[in-house]
Amino acid sequence: MTNIIEASNINKKVELDKGHELHILKDVNLVIKKGEFVSVMGPSGSGKSTLLYNLSGMDRVSSGSVVFQGHELGSLKEDELAKIRLKYMGFIFQDINLLKNLSVIDNVMFPALVSKGVVKNKVLQKARKLLQMTGIDKLENHQITQASGGQLQRVGICRALINNPDIIFGDEPTGALDSKSTEDILSILGEISSTGTTVMLVTHDVKVAAKTERVLFMKDGNLVAEKKMKKFDHLQDDSKEREESIMKWMVKNGF
Amino acid sequence: MYLKIIKNDFKRKKVITSTVFVFITLAVLLGSSATNIIANLIQSMSAFNLAAEPADITQMHVGDYDQIAIDQFTEAHQEQIAMQETMELLTIDGVNIHFRDNNSFAGTVQDISFVVQNTEFDFILDLNNEKLNVKEGEIAVPIYFMEEYELTIGELITVVQGAYKKQFVIADYARDFEMNSSLSSSKRFVINPKDYGDMLQGKVGEREYLIQFKLRENADSKKLQTEYIDSGLPANGPIVTGDMFLIFNALSDATIAIIIILISILLIIIASLSIRLTFLATIDEDLREIGVMKAIGLSNKDIKKVYLNKYRVMSVVAGIIGYLLSFVVINLFTSNMRLYLSSDLSGSLKYLLSLVAPLFVYLMIVLYCKKILKQIDKISAIEALRSNIMVRGKNRKYRFPLLQNKFFNTNIYMGIRDVWNRFKLYRLLILIFAVCTFIIILPLNLYNTMNSPEFTTYMGIGKSDVRIDLRRTDTISEDFKKLQEELQNDPGVEKFSAYITSSFPVKNKEGTWDYLNIETGDFSVFPLNYLNGRAPEKAGEISLSYANASSDGLNKKVGDEVIVEVVGEEKSLKVTGIYQDITNGGKTAKAHSSLGLNEDAVLWYIVYLDLREGVDKVKKMDHYQNMFVGAQVNDIQDYKKQTLGNMMNQLNSIVLGGIVIAGMIIVLITALFMKMLLSKDQSQIAIMRSIGLTSKQIQQQYVAGTLMVLIVGIILGVLASEFLGEFLFSLAMTSMGAARIEFIQIIWQTWILCPLILIVIVGVTITLCCKATFKKDLSIVLRG
Repeated sequence: MTNIIEASNINKKVELDKGHELHILKDVNLVIKKGEFVSVMGPSGSGKSTLLYNLSGMDRVSSGSVVFQGHELGSLKEDELAKIRLKYMGFIFQDINLLKNLSVIDNVMFPALVSKGVVKNKVLQKARKLLQMTGIDKLENHQITQASGGQLQRVGICRALINNPDIIFGDEPTGALDSKSTEDILSILGEISSTGTTVMLVTHDVKVAAKTERVLFMKDGNLVAEKKMKKFDHLQDDSKEREESIMKWMVKNGF
Repeated sequence: MYLKIIKNDFKRKKVITSTVFVFITLAVLLGSSATNIIANLIQSMSAFNLAAEPADITQMHVGDYDQIAIDQFTEAHQEQIAMQETMELLTIDGVNIHFRDNNSFAGTVQDISFVVQNTEFDFILDLNNEKLNVKEGEIAVPIYFMEEYELTIGELITVVQGAYKKQFVIADYARDFEMNSSLSSSKRFVINPKDYGDMLQGKVGEREYLIQFKLRENADSKKLQTEYIDSGLPANGPIVTGDMFLIFNALSDATIAIIIILISILLIIIASLSIRLTFLATIDEDLREIGVMKAIGLSNKDIKKVYLNKYRVMSVVAGIIGYLLSFVVINLFTSNMRLYLSSDLSGSLKYLLSLVAPLFVYLMIVLYCKKILKQIDKISAIEALRSNIMVRGKNRKYRFPLLQNKFFNTNIYMGIRDVWNRFKLYRLLILIFAVCTFIIILPLNLYNTMNSPEFTTYMGIGKSDVRIDLRRTDTISEDFKKLQEELQNDPGVEKFSAYITSSFPVKNKEGTWDYLNIETGDFSVFPLNYLNGRAPEKAGEISLSYANASSDGLNKKVGDEVIVEVVGEEKSLKVTGIYQDITNGGKTAKAHSSLGLNEDAVLWYIVYLDLREGVDKVKKMDHYQNMFVGAQVNDIQDYKKQTLGNMMNQLNSIVLGGIVIAGMIIVLITALFMKMLLSKDQSQIAIMRSIGLTSKQIQQQYVAGTLMVLIVGIILGVLASEFLGEFLFSLAMTSMGAARIEFIQIIWQTWILCPLILIVIVGVTITLCCKATFKKDLSIVLRG
């Protein structure tokens, strides 16, 4: 498998007050391979989300380098980074972050419609297919104020997938959802991963991590350990064992 | 505590607070200046009036006159007349008055007279409002000429006519209550009695007389005028009353004051709208804080106080600054007044009167804020703390889905649909853009209208190339005939028409007789635009000027009859039309030539003519000027410019000022609005950026939306200035005799150049605002 992201010695520092700095990421080295389903765990403030934003180019590292499919993100201008995000990346957020004044279908289609050389009809077909896949096709023309949290997160996933990205980043995508919705979303993400799309999630929920095949553990800005597991199989459903194994591993690494 | 909150608030919203502050200061500054101008104007007019003691009735007359008969008339009307004095004038052709190297007053449309200071009243003053006392060999020159020809004290003026030649040293400015304004067509130069005697001996110029009356309080001026004429006393020239001089003197400064007040009011409106904008933005940002304040038990009144105090402090500080600054800038506005009317407003009156503006602005702002702040009552603590609730559950109809877009790029479409979806927010901006456009276009239209050849319509004359005025001389009837024959045979003249104006007794609405100046001739040659009806075409027809037809005049409409006394016989004339005329106090009339003349009271002879294409106008004018020595030959455009010159120059400054003020307001408001909008949309922008939209694409959305709003604002502004402006201007001009002025629009200026300037200004402002905002760190916004 080829590498999709290569991060070398990345550091992220934030200036708080005059002379005071917060060192959020400390010399993190990481390689993500194409098609991997990765989760990042760790206590609050360990730098999980910061890592995600820096790997996706939404934030810039203070030192070190992040290479995404051959592009050194640090050397790119904001608008070049935006183009890469539009074409190759998809994002799912805990707060969902949909555009308030667009309907469900328009939110999903929007990233495709602002891309160059798109055929509107094809975009519409694709969006409908995604809505169907995530089970919210009936909401197509609804406004986002008319949907529940779980439904909205599915809209977010559809939007992330509309441009056929190479990687999906998720920042606590199930953080604000009930257990049923969480299950549904995880199953959709599993399906996406099985099609060969790389998925990288930040989570504090061991149930979410148990569905992935590689778990990274962060503490105090350091990437302290990683655990590889075989792909999760719904038919087999060994979630409980996977969860326990991850918990033990985290405790062992200082959780 | 409150002060601390206000201080922090200032720090947090520097740009918005400063912008609103600037608007309030400007509004106070202009308001105070305008009050000051008006106070100045009233005080200087009264001081000027007191020092100059102008006549209440001035009867102009040329030719023989009998002072004894006038004295008897005065004696007989003692209960009405306080004083009478007859001023003798020597009217000299501008060609004969020279200054500097080979310059003369030849081109002026003004009648120039040399006079000696009166002894009883109607005094001509110096710039200190002291009676002029001109020494031998010296001359005091009217302010109008000092300005027009940039003359200075100490320069020489030479009068040459025939064998007579005399050099005068300019010793002073002549401030003349009766003839200061460019709107009155005569100007008086004051010389020493000895020099005047020499001129008489040298047979220089033509003698004219101003038979002047100073009336007692409560005297009936109109009745006295009629009685004077009925007594058969000398009266072959027009009669001018004191209130006309007052209007002429105050007109240009009053116009400026009114325009400044108008701009000041617009600024107060804009400041209020900005506060509303600010509040809309703040309430959104501060929603949680309001919730916390409510939750910990602060009453609505206390919370409002926090906001209100901020604007109270702001209005007080801005009011003080604007008030103080007004005393610095007032000089810019009153230079014309200082020169023509008086030196300066004295005493503490101006300080007191100027306080009206800041107090008014303060009250307006506080009342307006109180009104907006009522919204706080509607917000519950829970709603405020969980601000998302406010968004949830609102199921408005979804309009403009993205797939409906057939013509635009998706980002441009997003911008345009945003305007529709948040129209409440944008409508403020539309209003502001419309007001700014109005500020630019109204003076521009005014300027273009006054500058256009069609403006002569409002001066009671049709569109023509040249106007020839014949001055009253002994040979005037022959000259007039000869001029017409000459024009008839001139191949360079395409068409011409001759008019004679004489004064006729006309029965007024009370059934008594008034004198009315009626112009006779063929009015089909240079047709006028009539407000109602048409020009008189045959015997028994008359048309009246608007002021004459109005209730203040004869109170007639088209179809009514007017009784005119012609050579002792009463004739009934039918009113065929009503036209606009701002000359001669607005009260004129036109009748068919068959009406004949009132030989004793012919006022003036005028010929209008058009030249054939390719004929050199200047050469032709020179030809007739040389042929008829007593004639005044003027290019119509020149005539208009000299008559309205002062006002045109002031308008020019107002057009430029309007563009600068509107430009400033637009930049500030657009920046303020964008800052508010971008901060309101911060999270939405971050979402779009996270999806992969470039800053350019997002910028496109805002530019498209705002420009659409601007275009709507421009259209409204232009239409408002065309219709509302036209209406307001006509209303203002009604008192002068023009009730329906149609603006001349120069399409490329109103619909292309001005909008283009505004679009560029707004476009650049939005781009700069967006650039500053998009620099913000994306992940911080997304993660809250």
